Amino acid sequence: MAGIVCRIASRVISSQAACSSVVAVRHSHWFTSVLSLKTSMPLRAEPKKKKKVDPRREIMMKERLKKKLKRLEKVPPELIPIEDFITPAKCFDETRIRDAPKLCFEESERRALLLKEWSRYKYSQHQTEMDTINEALEAQRQALDELKLESEELYKAALSPDMDLFPFQHEGPSYTPPVTNYDAPEGKYNDVTRVYTQ
Amino acid sequence: MAAPFSRVYRPLWRIITTSALNRGVRNVSSSRQQWSAQNVKPAGAASPWALHGAVCLQRLPAVSQDRSPIEEEFMELMHQMELERSLLSDHELRLLEDAARMSRKQEEDYDSDEEEEDYRDKEIVTAQDLEDIWEQKLKQFQPAPRSQAVDEKDVSSSERCLADSLILLVKKHVGSQKLWLLPQIQWQTGETLRQTAERALASLPGADLTATFLGNAPCGFYKYKYPKDIQKEGSVGAKVFFFKAVLPSHKHLPLEKNSFAWVKKEELQDFLKPEYLKQVRRFIMAL
Repeated sequence: MAGIVCRIASRVISSQAACSSVVAVRHSHWFTSVLSLKTSMPLRAEPKKKKKVDPRREIMMKERLKKKLKRLEKVPPELIPIEDFITPAKCFDETRIRDAPKLCFEESERRALLLKEWSRYKYSQHQTEMDTINEALEAQRQALDELKLESEELYKAALSPDMDLFPFQHEGPSYTPPVTNYDAPEGKYNDVTRVYTQ
Repeated sequence: MAAPFSRVYRPLWRIITTSALNRGVRNVSSSRQQWSAQNVKPAGAASPWALHGAVCLQRLPAVSQDRSPIEEEFMELMHQMELERSLLSDHELRLLEDAARMSRKQEEDYDSDEEEEDYRDKEIVTAQDLEDIWEQKLKQFQPAPRSQAVDEKDVSSSERCLADSLILLVKKHVGSQKLWLLPQIQWQTGETLRQTAERALASLPGADLTATFLGNAPCGFYKYKYPKDIQKEGSVGAKVFFFKAVLPSHKHLPLEKNSFAWVKKEELQDFLKPEYLKQVRRFIMAL
């Protein structure tokens, strides 16, 4: 600002000086002398004393803001709702209720007997499975005992865990075997899952 | 371990007479006395049993099993009960609406303007049309047949009986006979038994089968004594330790006939000797 004032003043003065003789001309009371235009009134005043209270005041302001932020942050974050536990409103629609058919006596009897037969079948299936598994475990235990009789180091090597086994992947059986050289069509879908952020 | 030691091992070619059963804690020298009653081995001598590693290679089922009659009945019952207890879906509601609209159209006092003000600009695709379209699309896809064209009796193909798990058997010269066995090979010093089993698998002629071995521990063992004329000082018989391995799901490799067989658990008895079969059956699970 002072610089601009100086430049303008010098241009004014030089123009003035060009047309008239060099006389101490005071165009404004700001310029005390023509030759020394470097300083102006506001500049000549002493610089503002920064009061010592000011830095303390700034620090206090910052601390107050920080405390406010902490109070806001202390609020616990909103819990993300579990979509599976919320029954969608569609299920409470009354128009959707199916009229239940009346079962005759024979049908209900047949159902009850079939359920009991099924539980017996499943129980025997479970027993055979457990027996097979226990048999296999027993065979393994005996094999390890025999190996111990043979040599200790082989036994220890057999007991050591296999690091390469896991992660173990195998595709289970499907209803039909895979078609050889099958080119699956590209499926396009719109993903409408809701993503929550805390 | 204080397990009672009361098992009788009947080897393939020779039935040994068991001495008194050893109860209590087993240790190396005392149990060896059982097997070779004549030769009393000092503790610390080399074992008279030759070690072999064998692999029980399984091709797991690729196709689900057929349902038994009770399972079929129960499945139908479950479907019926689920249907009865369920609510109407969007598609079913749409079907009902369409049916109601059709019946209203058939009536005499049908006011088409009143009905169609909502539907004038839209194309009417009924839910039944949609069902037909979906049916057509399904028919365009041809799944592979559940039972492949391979002859079920041809044991050398690994594509037979996709619904069961198959075991690999190999025909091998043992002594003077040719026997069907699980692939086995003699143990060499410096390797673990699992490496022996892996070597047994790799040494099968004509097949580079990469299988996953399930752990370092053997799943079963079989021991037999050599016939008297072969028995020398220091070798009484052999112990075979079996290791389980699983073939990866998609690989099917042809192997030469007359020396390889892929066999179900029920068919094992046609191939293996009875004593061997008894031990092998314990750890093969056909569930």
